[in-house]
Amino acid sequence: MSDDEHHFESSDAGASKTYPQQAGNIRKGGHIVIKGRPCKVVEVSTSKTGKHGHAKCHFVAIDIFTSKKLEDIVPSSHNCDVPHVNRVDYQLIDISEDGFVSLLTDNGSTKDDLKLPTDEALLTQLKNGFEEGKDIVVSVMSAMGEEQMCALKEVGPK
Amino acid sequence: MLGFPNGSGGDGVGAEDLSQLQSTMRAIELACSYIQINSNPVAAEATILSLHQSPQPYKACRYILENSQVANARFQAAAAIREAAIREWSFLATDDKGGLISFCLGYVMQHANSSEGYVLSKVSSVAAQLMKRGWLEFTPADKEVFFYQINQAILGSRGLDVQFIGINFLESLVSEFSPSTSSAMGLPREFHENCRKSLEQNFLKTFYQWAKDAALSVTNKIIASHSSVPEVKVCNATLRLMYQILNWEFRYSKGGGTRASINVFSDGIRVDNALARKTECVIVQPGASWCDVLLSSSHVGWLINLYSSVRQKFDLEGYWLDCPVAVSARKLIVQLCSLAGEIFPSNNAQMREQHLLLLLSGVLPWIDPPDVISKEIEEGKSGSEMIDGCRALLSIGTVTTPVVFDQLLRSLRPFGTLTLLSMLMGEVVKVLMANSTDEETWSYEARDILLDTWTTLLASMDGSGGNAWLPPEGMHAAASLFSLIVESELKVASASGRGTVDPTETLEEVYSLLLIIGHVLADEGEGETALVPDAVQSHFVDVVEANNHPVVVLSSSIIKFAEQCLDAEMRSSIFSPRLMEAVIWFLARWSFTYLMLVEDCNLGSNQLQSLPSRACLFTFFNEHNQGKFVLDIIVRISLTSLMSFPGEKDLQELTCFQLLHALVRRRNICFHLLSLDSWRNLANAFANDKSLFLLNSVSQRSLAQTLVLSAYGMQSSDASNQYVKDLMAHMTSSLVDLTNNSDLKNLAQQPDIIMLVSCVLERLRGAASATEPRTQRAVYEMGLSVMNPVLRLLEVYKHESAVIYLLLKFVVDWVDGQLSYLEAHETAVVINFCMSLLQIYSSHNIGKISLSLSSTLLNEAKTEKYKDLRALLQLLSHLCSKDMVDFSSDSIETQSTNISQVVYFGLHIITPLITLELLKYPKLCFDYFSLISHMLEVYPETLAQLNNDAFSHVLTTVDFGLHQQDVDIVTMCLRALKALASYHYKEKNAGNSGLGSHAAGHTDPNGVFHEGILSRFLRTLLHFLLFEDYSTDLVSTAADALFPLILCEPNLYQGLGNELIEKQANPNFKTRLANALQVLTTSNQLSSSLDRLNYQRFRKNLNNFLVEVRGFLKTR
Repeated sequence: MSDDEHHFESSDAGASKTYPQQAGNIRKGGHIVIKGRPCKVVEVSTSKTGKHGHAKCHFVAIDIFTSKKLEDIVPSSHNCDVPHVNRVDYQLIDISEDGFVSLLTDNGSTKDDLKLPTDEALLTQLKNGFEEGKDIVVSVMSAMGEEQMCALKEVGPK
Repeated sequence: MLGFPNGSGGDGVGAEDLSQLQSTMRAIELACSYIQINSNPVAAEATILSLHQSPQPYKACRYILENSQVANARFQAAAAIREAAIREWSFLATDDKGGLISFCLGYVMQHANSSEGYVLSKVSSVAAQLMKRGWLEFTPADKEVFFYQINQAILGSRGLDVQFIGINFLESLVSEFSPSTSSAMGLPREFHENCRKSLEQNFLKTFYQWAKDAALSVTNKIIASHSSVPEVKVCNATLRLMYQILNWEFRYSKGGGTRASINVFSDGIRVDNALARKTECVIVQPGASWCDVLLSSSHVGWLINLYSSVRQKFDLEGYWLDCPVAVSARKLIVQLCSLAGEIFPSNNAQMREQHLLLLLSGVLPWIDPPDVISKEIEEGKSGSEMIDGCRALLSIGTVTTPVVFDQLLRSLRPFGTLTLLSMLMGEVVKVLMANSTDEETWSYEARDILLDTWTTLLASMDGSGGNAWLPPEGMHAAASLFSLIVESELKVASASGRGTVDPTETLEEVYSLLLIIGHVLADEGEGETALVPDAVQSHFVDVVEANNHPVVVLSSSIIKFAEQCLDAEMRSSIFSPRLMEAVIWFLARWSFTYLMLVEDCNLGSNQLQSLPSRACLFTFFNEHNQGKFVLDIIVRISLTSLMSFPGEKDLQELTCFQLLHALVRRRNICFHLLSLDSWRNLANAFANDKSLFLLNSVSQRSLAQTLVLSAYGMQSSDASNQYVKDLMAHMTSSLVDLTNNSDLKNLAQQPDIIMLVSCVLERLRGAASATEPRTQRAVYEMGLSVMNPVLRLLEVYKHESAVIYLLLKFVVDWVDGQLSYLEAHETAVVINFCMSLLQIYSSHNIGKISLSLSSTLLNEAKTEKYKDLRALLQLLSHLCSKDMVDFSSDSIETQSTNISQVVYFGLHIITPLITLELLKYPKLCFDYFSLISHMLEVYPETLAQLNNDAFSHVLTTVDFGLHQQDVDIVTMCLRALKALASYHYKEKNAGNSGLGSHAAGHTDPNGVFHEGILSRFLRTLLHFLLFEDYSTDLVSTAADALFPLILCEPNLYQGLGNELIEKQANPNFKTRLANALQVLTTSNQLSSSLDRLNYQRFRKNLNNFLVEVRGFLKTR
């Protein structure tokens, strides 16, 4: 390890959106950029090129925002881009009529630019839970300039 | 009357009846033709089914059989007779039973020349099934009547067609009586077994004799005629029947005749005997009584003669070899080759050899001379005769020793059978190499059979001093065959290269050579110390100087070659990743057998010990000689393969798992490793070099484990601990630093940090799994120092499931390695840590909903959850083990409460997450039930404290587990039940409540009574034992569970027993069952206390009970 890795510099707002990583080290469950999209890897297989060639990695991955399937083949010693995927939990404070939610941030301000999920069942659960006065935590995932709700969890009644 | 008077009558049908019969016939005919053209098949099937199910449809069926012009309708009518008669058998009058069979037999004889063979086969098989159904009730005289008729038919007095029909009927009959091919009749196993015994002892040989006679009656005609005559069909049928009879699984042939009792526990088709397990070849052991019919009546000579004369006659007709009759004759010949056992008188070894010799002489023209025949086949002749010849060799090889096998041919040829075998296989390999297509040709099949033959012959010698048993010429034959195979494989390998500049050709050759030499020089170690192969030890007896020993020379030159990879230029031009894999594989295999052998450890058999050639082979690579030097080279090559082949996962894994790991597993090597600079370089690179952070995760873990294990080589325990500390200090401090960072939350989500954390966790896990007494302190402190970071990371990575899994697995392995060594206060620290871990995990996961739209990602999430749960179950199991294995100095009492509490708490957290759906994952299932059974055995009172929901959830899963296929799972559930029931029984006797309301049952608000759980399981277990299929291994464990259940619920047990007895229709079975139930709970002085002695007695009782009653309770 080189010296600078001892001090974990905090990344500022301008931190890079992706990081290089050796293809052989990206595993199932990790993230990868394929065709400019941030994806989650669901399958990795290695194959050899020719009898005495080098190994290659075959990735099957799902776009984390659009759920589209993407594939890529990379020599295992080459670098791939790995997206910086950030997930932040917020407390749900309001659901507005126009399909947006209002969330409470850590520093006490609100975040009002996120849309409700489209899935009908989840939507109902969210609304019902909220109306019953349950404490609901919403996880928001962001990567490469995009943002989406990715999970929710009831932490019990207020 | 059923319309089947015993004679040939049936004229008394009235006019009304007639019109009804006609309309039934028309309906069935219509239905059959609808099915054929696939128009409204459902309705048509229903019509036919209604005939099958109608009561006593015999009259109608008979009418259809005799009058219908539609063959399918006749077929269905026959099927309906079978259905109805099997169903209504016990209500039929004796005359009617016989009448049905007579009708069927008469029908097939009468219509013997009909062109619709399938209808005749069906009717014939119906007759066979009904005959079996009545087998045990018919008197010998009854049977005599039928068989007289059959015998007359087979003798040929009523023409060829009838003769064929008679043989065909016997075929059906034998197949009905053989357990693997019999049809289900809904009858007890005992019934089937008795039928089989009766047929084997009283009829089978007679049938064989009849078949022989029938064949004899037609062979002259066949040999004399010039074109294929109808006699061929009969001849083929007799050969098939004889083959089928020899395929019978003879059980009552041994002297006493009472050897075999039914295996009442499972539908095991074939009871393996030791000989048959050797190959797929079936050994035929009909017993001494068959000697006259098979051996002393020149039966074999006749058969060989028949085949060869017909073969000669049709020499020019290539198709003949694949004619049914030729195929059947060869099958029978091959089958006769595997004749063995008491049929050969023990005082007459010659008889056996003569028998085999006769067969071999018959088979010889099929395979000898091999080159001529293989050429003919390549030019278009059928290969089936050659393949059957190979099969015959396999059969002979299976029933003889190599010496006898080899000797057989010497009276016919100037060489032995082994030489022929070698020549034959040489030809096959040549052909195989010449047309190296992927197509399955005759040569593939022949090669596999011949390989089996070699294996059979050579395997019979292992362990018993080796090649003393193989005749010298045989050794030569095997060796020349081997070199031929190597040569041709190399040729194929090098032929795959293209062009002259392409190094592929050379690389492929070197690659193959490395693999071949590795296999020749060393055996597979797989879990034990690999010995230098006996052949290598004993072969070069005249060599006294190590430098001249071929094995030393060969090994040294390969090591020298491998060393070249250290040079960067050579590496890039020659050592492709794949070649490097072969190098590492070879070094691993070789060093396991030859490097730094400890005296008396890798020596094989004693008689070879004094050989000087052996001594020089053994000392050359030991620690006083070249050993250390070679070890150094191997370590340097390993480091190169890890550092200089980035991204080559397979190579890294081979290096870490096969090579390095095998080295440190040998203690004497550890001492030398630690003194090597190259090993220090490896350790250094591991701790500090960035490029080793790029290894894939499993290699990462394995490397850490290897390095920690090597610490054993330090002089003292302190030094070993210090070594581990220095090695891992960097990893632990990087985690501590990271988690102390104020911006951890954001920082942690950066891909490079995730990668770093994953890598460090893998390494910590590797180190944790290498815990040994000598390094336990250091590994404990390593874990202790990252406890807080681990909990922090569990929090910040709650959305990064891959990291969470690594965290859990590290803790699981660490706790597993450490717990048994820990003192009370340390145990408390670890347990508190695990509690926090469980709490944090469950707070993140219970009630969490993923919003992903992708079904793949949702499935992934489920799999991740499964893996996490499995890790948590393992953690709980490990915690439990503290009560079992404890090396600490404190007494057990000081901590046991702690353990049971954390496990109780853990169970509360985990049970809501475990679903029956998840238990379908075999590994999770296994872990879950091992925890549950352990819990119940050790802390039954903990379970009793669970609330109603959790309690019934646990027991639902136990019920689920009882019905799994896996013996281990069922065993664990049975042990859980035993624990539960015996706990309750003992508590009750001591005046406590035991399982309390759980056991007593309750009445719900609707007034419905719900049985207590012990009652429920008593029912389930009894049903399981009496009616389901399971392995005999389970009986003892089941007895241990059943016994306390019966003691807990004596009244219910009594009731269930009575219910069972009442259900039996047969008065004989009723009495037997009642007696057996009585004996089960009273014999062997069984009393009502749960001690070892009583458990043992009950096991014996239950076993006897099941053997007695399952024969008639379990039906087929």
